[in-house]
Amino acid sequence: MYPVWEVPHLTAGMILGLIATFHMMPVYLSTSAMWFAIWLESRSVREGRPDLMDFVRRYARLVLIFSYVFGALSGVGIWFAATVAAPRAISGLIHNYVWGWATEWVFFLIEIAAIYVYYYTIDKVDAKTHLKIGGIFALASWTTMIVIVGILTFMLTPGRWPSTGAFFDGFFNETYWPQLLLRTTSMFAVGGAYVLAVAASGKNERVRVEVVRAGSVLGLAGIGLGGLSFLWYSSSLPDPIRSNLAALMTPGLRGGMIYPTALLALLFAIFAAKPGAARPWAGAAALALVFSGIWSFERTRELIRKPYVIPNYMYSNQIIGGDVPSKGVSSELDRINDKGILRLAAFVPDELRTVTDANRLRAGRMVALIECSACHSLQDKGLRPLPERIRRLGATGPDDVASVLDSLGGIPYMPPFAGTADEKRALAEYLLSISK
Amino acid sequence: MDTPALIKTLQDPMGIPFFPVVFQALMVLTFSLHILLVNATVGAAALAVYGRLAGGEFWTKLAGSMAKAVTMSVSALIVLGVAPLLFVQVIYDPFWYASNMLSAAWAIGFLLIMMAAFSASYAAVARGDKPGAALFGALALALFLAAGALMHVFSYQALQPERWMSWYSRAAGVDASGTTLHSFSLARYLHFIIPGLAVGGVFLMLRSWYLEPRADADRTALDRAARIGSGLAFWATAAETVAGVWWLMILPDGLRFWRNPTFIASAALGFALLGHFARVHFFTEKPQRSALASASAIILVVLAMSSAREALRMAYLARFEYSPLAQRVTLDWGSTALFFGTFALGLVVLAYVLATAFQSGRVAGRYEAGPRMQAWGRVAVGLLIAWIVVVAGLGVAVTLRNHGV
Ligand code: HEC
Repeated sequence: MYPVWEVPHLTAGMILGLIATFHMMPVYLSTSAMWFAIWLESRSVREGRPDLMDFVRRYARLVLIFSYVFGALSGVGIWFAATVAAPRAISGLIHNYVWGWATEWVFFLIEIAAIYVYYYTIDKVDAKTHLKIGGIFALASWTTMIVIVGILTFMLTPGRWPSTGAFFDGFFNETYWPQLLLRTTSMFAVGGAYVLAVAASGKNERVRVEVVRAGSVLGLAGIGLGGLSFLWYSSSLPDPIRSNLAALMTPGLRGGMIYPTALLALLFAIFAAKPGAARPWAGAAALALVFSGIWSFERTRELIRKPYVIPNYMYSNQIIGGDVPSKGVSSELDRINDKGILRLAAFVPDELRTVTDANRLRAGRMVALIECSACHSLQDKGLRPLPERIRRLGATGPDDVASVLDSLGGIPYMPPFAGTADEKRALAEYLLSISK
Repeated sequence: MDTPALIKTLQDPMGIPFFPVVFQALMVLTFSLHILLVNATVGAAALAVYGRLAGGEFWTKLAGSMAKAVTMSVSALIVLGVAPLLFVQVIYDPFWYASNMLSAAWAIGFLLIMMAAFSASYAAVARGDKPGAALFGALALALFLAAGALMHVFSYQALQPERWMSWYSRAAGVDASGTTLHSFSLARYLHFIIPGLAVGGVFLMLRSWYLEPRADADRTALDRAARIGSGLAFWATAAETVAGVWWLMILPDGLRFWRNPTFIASAALGFALLGHFARVHFFTEKPQRSALASASAIILVVLAMSSAREALRMAYLARFEYSPLAQRVTLDWGSTALFFGTFALGLVVLAYVLATAFQSGRVAGRYEAGPRMQAWGRVAVGLLIAWIVVVAGLGVAVTLRNHGV
């Protein structure tokens, strides 16, 4: 167990969520944009329409700067944020999936070289070569999705990995294909939103109308096919995850997925019919809708994984709660209940290793930091604030709180309390003290 | 809990999918490429600022192209940084994670600083030769140096597990805010930063060598830039040896690192590099003619120094009974083959893209690919498609076997 990073009100996991959602914006741009760009470029070559290249240049520039500056940085940012949110979990993932990420990295190298060369050689190399560079970028970029979806879905449905421990058994799991299709189709909806944003400010009237229309049709197709894929994806989710979904899905999250998607479809429909009416604000609105849709989708994906960060293996608070015999790893719960979390966790000051009358509240806070702060704010306000949750349950004495702690394991989306009776008591007193 | 025991409880229980020495070699290799680009960025950013301040036609032009080079090399250094970041977590997980957690807020701060630095470097390009370019350039440089300092802190804290607990503890329990940076070594930091000027110098020589054959080249300016480059390379390498000696002096007693063979080899290569730059700068008519040799030499020295630093890290941590090579290995041939196959294939594709860039940049007008380049391009696209087909086929097979239809 590593030191804890307590982010007041937000929790470190929320920071990770924000960065990860932001990251999706440049990523989907990158994976979808070039297909559209090379389609336009080949039209421009075929029909002798150099004016179309003006849009291609501006679109490629957006990809270059937004995807390969902010996208690349936020991608690295996910690594750092995931590290400081749950180092032991990212460690577990990396120790299994390092070659997957390393494979993805090879395609990053190709992508970044290709987008720079593509952008800086527009009109400077022959058309065939230029289209090839674009094609290489488009393929390499989509390939990164093929790889990352395997790891992302593993975190939800690990397939046969728990019994075999083999890379591909976890990678090609029961939600792999639906989610790959879902991301592949919806990336075109996102790509369409960017087309709108870039094309709407174009100077050439004819190009603007043509490109806005094509982008809107692309966006509509992305949403339509994405919707169908979503149905397949939802039906592929296993039962425990569905029941989590039923318990944790809030109207806000549900609406957060449905309304932005519907509004985006409406926007695309309008501009597919009347492309001349598109203005830069429409592009901005489309992107805002995309962001809020992705936010709700990714939040939900995070939520339904609870109480695990790695299914049936590691809880969100990084305690190992399940056996993975193929890797020779077994649950820590019994040992922790026997010896105590304060004794076994590495980063606990010596003075807090045993609960005494002199250190009860501080020891209780230490337990809360280790076991609860990943999902709950310890302040009065913020994400699932514990003081408020305890108050709401009407606990008046340490015994009441202790019996709440006893019942945690029975709630499907929360890990059980782990530790000795003394530690439970100390945690209960601490929780009571902050909820007064 | 004593320090070796603490490290053991932190280590990932699952083991790793292939032999640790392979991860170590990949880490050193990719880190070397990453740090070369870091150096190039620092060097180019410094030259861009200097050029803006110096003014005049020569420097203004040079500053412009350096500012543009900064934006590209930052992109490249970020992508190249991903790989060592990954591999360090495979064989040094306890150290990297503990160090990050102890200054967690700064791990996020690093990200914000890099975004700001990147934006500033683009602003510097966008300003062109208008006033403000120097200011944005200087801001970018300062932020890059700050980001580098943070990375230095993370790796340096990682080497001091015996102090972690005292950094974390407070009278009232622990400090979980992650807002403190705990340890910084100027000698070590300088040893990473000074080479920026040397690499920047070599970059100038390379640039002159590359642009010289172009029909529209300004040869006087290219000669002058190459000479500035060789001077920078020589003097920065000289300063680097001083920083190196200083660093050696402050290493913990008992490591006896000066007796370590990788250290001796890399120090010898470093001095040879210094001699090479002296020859190029003081005794060669056109330094750009030695550009390729200089670039190869500096790459070799960076590789040697990275290996020496890895040996040093092992020596540091051996004092706590840790060896990155003593890992539980659960062989996973499938994913290992996936990576190495992709790597080989990727190099062919990447080389095609870079070769296209290289050739098209050397002609003044529009570049027409010859039949061999065209064939290479077709192979590159074909390889990517083949990769997708093979992996998808594998996926279908695994899915059918594991999950039926
Ligand atoms: C995996 C993340 C996670 C961890 C770790 C976690 N919880 Fe929760 N907890 C939740 C979720 C999700 C809810 C339900 C949503 C809500 O209450 O907003 C919840 C709800 C609660 C509630 C309210 C229950 C109710 O019936 O209203 C209490 C009390 C609580 N948690 C206490 C704790 C304590 C104490 C710890 C540490 C020992 C802890 N939790 C650790 C995720 C977690």
